[in-house]
Amino acid sequence: MTTLIEAPPSDADGLLPTKKKASGGGLGQYILIRFLLIFPTILILVTLVFFLMRITGDPITAALGGRLPPEQLAERIHAAGYDRPIFVQYFEYLGQLITGDFGTTLSDNRQVSEMLTTYGAATLELSINALLVALVVGIPLGMVAAHRRDKAPDAVLRIFAILCYATPVFFAGMLLKLTFSVWLGWLPVAGRAKTSTELALTALQAPTGIYWLDAVRSGNMAALGDVIAHAVLPALALGLLTAGIFLRLVRTNVIGTLGKDYVEAGRSRGVSEFRLVTKHAYKPALIPIITVMGLQIAVMLGGAVLTETTFEWKGLGFQLATYLTARDFVAVQGIVVLLAVIVAVTNFIVDIVAALIDPRVRY
Amino acid sequence: MAMNKKALQSAIALAGVSAFALTACTGPSGGGTASGSASGGGAITYGTTDKVVTLDPAGSYDAGSFMVMNQIYPFLLNSKPGTADSTPDIAESASFTSPTEYTVKLKSGLKFANGHALTSSDVKFSIDRVVKINDDNGPASLLGNLASVEVKDDSTVVFKLKEGNDQVFPGVLAANAGPIVDEEVFAAGKLMSDDDIVKGKPFAGPYTIESYKKNELVSLKANPDYKGLLGKPANDSATIKYYADSNNLKLDVQQGNIDVAGRSLTATDAADLEKDSKVKVHKGPGGELRYIVFNFDTMPFGAKTADADPKKALAVRQAMADVVDRDAIATQVYKGTYLPAYSVVPDGFVGAIKPLKDMYGDGNGKPSLEKAKKAFSDAGVTAPVTLKLQYNPDHYGKSSGDEYAMIKEQLEKSGLFKVDLQSTEWVTYSKDRTKDVYPVYQLGWFPDYSDADNYLTPFFIPGNFLKNHYENPAVTDLIKKQLTTVDKAEREKVLGDAQTAVAKDLSTLPLLQGAQLMVAGKDVQGVDKTLDASFKTRLGVISK
Repeated sequence: MTTLIEAPPSDADGLLPTKKKASGGGLGQYILIRFLLIFPTILILVTLVFFLMRITGDPITAALGGRLPPEQLAERIHAAGYDRPIFVQYFEYLGQLITGDFGTTLSDNRQVSEMLTTYGAATLELSINALLVALVVGIPLGMVAAHRRDKAPDAVLRIFAILCYATPVFFAGMLLKLTFSVWLGWLPVAGRAKTSTELALTALQAPTGIYWLDAVRSGNMAALGDVIAHAVLPALALGLLTAGIFLRLVRTNVIGTLGKDYVEAGRSRGVSEFRLVTKHAYKPALIPIITVMGLQIAVMLGGAVLTETTFEWKGLGFQLATYLTARDFVAVQGIVVLLAVIVAVTNFIVDIVAALIDPRVRY
Repeated sequence: MAMNKKALQSAIALAGVSAFALTACTGPSGGGTASGSASGGGAITYGTTDKVVTLDPAGSYDAGSFMVMNQIYPFLLNSKPGTADSTPDIAESASFTSPTEYTVKLKSGLKFANGHALTSSDVKFSIDRVVKINDDNGPASLLGNLASVEVKDDSTVVFKLKEGNDQVFPGVLAANAGPIVDEEVFAAGKLMSDDDIVKGKPFAGPYTIESYKKNELVSLKANPDYKGLLGKPANDSATIKYYADSNNLKLDVQQGNIDVAGRSLTATDAADLEKDSKVKVHKGPGGELRYIVFNFDTMPFGAKTADADPKKALAVRQAMADVVDRDAIATQVYKGTYLPAYSVVPDGFVGAIKPLKDMYGDGNGKPSLEKAKKAFSDAGVTAPVTLKLQYNPDHYGKSSGDEYAMIKEQLEKSGLFKVDLQSTEWVTYSKDRTKDVYPVYQLGWFPDYSDADNYLTPFFIPGNFLKNHYENPAVTDLIKKQLTTVDKAEREKVLGDAQTAVAKDLSTLPLLQGAQLMVAGKDVQGVDKTLDASFKTRLGVISK
């Protein structure tokens, strides 16, 4: 699958014939179509989430059933409009979403839209950190595996890759925590920063909520170090999942590229194997990574729920788990829709980036 | 282009190296108190797994919200650390001026952190809005005996009561319905958001909120304008850190990232921490009561069973009380985080006695098979009696299953019972238990206010919340009498009589009472002072 979207190879060693200029006329149309596709994607997700949430009954009963007398429960169901026909509720919910109103949580009376601003930054920070781990670990190791194909390092790295993406995120997180926090005491157990750091960063003027960015902006290097120390284990737990996939992808694509005629031509000219891998084979291997990255965002957000819970990383995933436990379906529904929007928009951006890098993607 | 690639590669390499270098420099996160912030020395960090529902007193009736309220809002009455007795806090005096009038006079010069004066008008506003909003999650039900609130002058307020000489009313003013808020900040008819409350600074308790991240981090600073009973806090500032997982809470207190770990460490965590030389486990009396409820209609030989016989039904209850080994459950299942309960009123409350210790078992708190057999033979009950025993697996903690497995084992080992143990999730459980579905079942209770009455009135008067069809006019009279007995000594005696009468009827079988538990670093002082029967966590007494 991945070899279908290879990018043109690098021509630093003059291996390729003169390139024709790619016809880029379809880019505008491509972006427009991709942009318009976001809306039905989100609509389908919202519809699915809405009706799946209603399978077990109305949200008020789910959250408060058994804790309120039946009369009070009925009053609240009526007041919230959950006793009306489901399609009326559905279209009303869609109307609310258009105005940015995701509803109010049942368990602690908060605006769900507030979640995005309050906790989105934490999840974004974790995702960036994890992506960095995935790239830094997955790509070089994939190239090494391809370079040493069918030799011992390749076998070890392939097993490592399988372990990475086959190990449940929460299990990896627990193992990392036990090893590096509890037994060795090298890294913090949980949280995004020490209490003093969090207080210092919270007190900043207009904080972004992305701690390392706020620490850099404020020039607080001690805080930056603390934030990074807290970020290492969650980023590893989540990032290694994707690193395994990247490693396999890069390996497969680099091996595929190494068999191309222009690479053979390079070999016959005496270009070293290392140079062929690092100069000519890596770019075609990276293009599918960019495409897969879009899909991995969804995987990462799913993994973020478990990682954030394991490491008390208070982001959207952590909140989602908390509200699920409280059976607060309004909050759950709102956060899931928010996550769906993030995934759809990210995929759109990734598609555009891929199209800009490789014009063949536009067709 | 080649330059750009190199630059990118260099940047990635630099970022990676920097990240690992910084990581290596930082090492483990120790000493995570707020000392790094502006507060300087004397700051403490308290960790908890409790959650804040809302900072609005009209909208919450839970331990997590009340814990924060105790730090930031003033109360007319409160209790001194070490006791549960309600005495004037920001009030200069508080007493019954007639059987149905409770008059409170405020201290002079009271003000909120925002500079607004705190007057009797704020007091009336605060109490009235709890009643008016009447939120489902709020404490309005505590003010059921309140007829109206009247302002006499800027510093005098009169609470008019429906029933006279209500001895519980001072306790209610010190409980969830009692925080005094600023009428210039709070809306009269609707709940306020936490962020709006924090912005308005309507705080006149021992602390003010400096920064607030709901259920993440609350930063408190000692309030120099607080003139109440609790005095100046022993620390300059305090931070409350919220955890989702008690395991992380435990690890952080062990590693010194927080100074005190409060609610709620598990029994296993507590037992483990007892062995850790870096921390100290502090225990105090707890208000939680765990007990078994008997449905008088549907229990074996109950009023609506085919072989109804009140004497035999009583013998079944008595035999259960005789053979159950509370001590074994407390030590083996709960590792000492619960204590045996020998009354429906937990030990530590004013007026609490232990009638079940003398009346059942070996007379010393341990089981007695002989007494159980005698109860059966005296009433003509043929063993074994089949008992359908229900417990809840998700509402009363993870160890409920172990607790009830042990109870089943103890009952069956006696040869007098055959136990059919069943469990149901809370949503269904809480509905079914009042619909006569469960003949004998588990329940637990946290007090609404620190008074023995809170363990009597809700359970043993006609139409009680147990809905277990128990009625005894003599018990009802005793409960009503203690509510209105003004003389303290006399009231204690009546409370004792009520407990003895209830223990004879055994409409519920008390098993365990919770011990309050906090774990603190060895350099932390004052934790024991807040572990009293008021069940109020007062950060102001903790220091290091």
